Amino acid sequence: MPYQFDWTPIWANRDLIVDGFLMTIALSALALGLALVTGVIVGTAGASQRPALRGCAAAYVELMRNVPLLVHMYFWYIGLSFLRLPPFACAVAALTLYSGAYVAETVRAGLGAVARGQRLAALATGLTPRQALIYVVYPQTLRIITPSLASLFSQLIKDSSLASVITVAELTYEASAIEGQTFRTFEIYITISLLYLALVTLVTWGLLLVPGAREQPARGLSDA
Amino acid sequence: MPEVILKNLPFLLAGLRLTAEIALLSIVGGTLLGLAIGVLRYMRVPIVAQCLDLYVLFMRGTPLLVVLFICYFALPALLGYKTSAYWAAVSGFILFIGAYLAEDVRSGLRSVPQGLVQAALATGLTRAKVLRLIVVPIALRNVIPNLFSQYVRLFKFTSVASVIGVNEFTGSAMLVNGREFAPITIIGFIALTYLVLCFAISAVGRVLHARLAVRS
Repeated sequence: MPYQFDWTPIWANRDLIVDGFLMTIALSALALGLALVTGVIVGTAGASQRPALRGCAAAYVELMRNVPLLVHMYFWYIGLSFLRLPPFACAVAALTLYSGAYVAETVRAGLGAVARGQRLAALATGLTPRQALIYVVYPQTLRIITPSLASLFSQLIKDSSLASVITVAELTYEASAIEGQTFRTFEIYITISLLYLALVTLVTWGLLLVPGAREQPARGLSDA
Repeated sequence: MPEVILKNLPFLLAGLRLTAEIALLSIVGGTLLGLAIGVLRYMRVPIVAQCLDLYVLFMRGTPLLVVLFICYFALPALLGYKTSAYWAAVSGFILFIGAYLAEDVRSGLRSVPQGLVQAALATGLTRAKVLRLIVVPIALRNVIPNLFSQYVRLFKFTSVASVIGVNEFTGSAMLVNGREFAPITIIGFIALTYLVLCFAISAVGRVLHARLAVRS
């Protein structure tokens, strides 16, 4: 029996899909911002001169990124269930800690790829170490790591689908709900796949607008 | 080891075995798929290459969970066949990770110097032989770190199979938790196990790379 395509139930449920899409965007955007902050702090610590700081940063990175994201989600949602955190907060915490480790590795590698002379020259002009970092080293690091960040951000957006497992009503969750009611299995999953693809593509293009990101090949940077 | 874990250890280990089995099948299958796609895209076979570009674009833009749903629910409905959660998960992992591995294989193929290819052709080898004997082996040896970071990623991703009802390691741990309710201990135990095994996979990758990388 050939499969009968029927897209009308998908269109009829467009409000749910849009709600889920917006939730995916909110969840990803929040986790992305927090992961970036985490990654910059931990990554900078990882590139520091002090062995103790480097050790802590390495421990964080290895501990966080070698545990499946789903287990991270379960830890916050079920492991710490006595805290009664809302599922959304659990998903944000899990995504932030997990992706933050990847961002940290990228930032650390990026900092290492900025020529040492840049920092020394900045210090020689009388900038404080902090100023040298913020005004001279970080901007160059950002250009170097932009391509890697683009792939990390798109991974984070896709990973956010796992939040559906802990009942966050994002795109995948709504798709499963619609599938359960209408049985238009193929249509709904293809629809949300394309929505994810569009979002990921948009974010990747957006990051290429970072000044200088396109000219500078990320040399010596493995796809962390 | 805490008593909750000891008491349920055989059950958890059975789950871990399933995880290992799924991971192994998916790594082997995904690597073969990635190799095939990578080589075909590298050779720029008309139409085939464009189709594969689309495939890779689609797979890399879709969450793994959605790919598993497609393999478990959507494709069987579309094409009218029956599948088990286990095989849906394995095929989903292969299709998913294959797309990522294809990108790594292709970047490896591109990094092989053109002069080497031309020299090989000049010695009278056919194109197929140059590819098989020279370009592919060098490319693969050089992208070992990338391949292994995908393998680690895949190993972690096998936990998602529990969502479609495969009682692998994470799935069986959550079942044990449902019975015992000791979430911190159980989740801590599986997190630690994943950590150790991911380290092991990375270590194998590092050793292989150190031994096999082609230095130029």
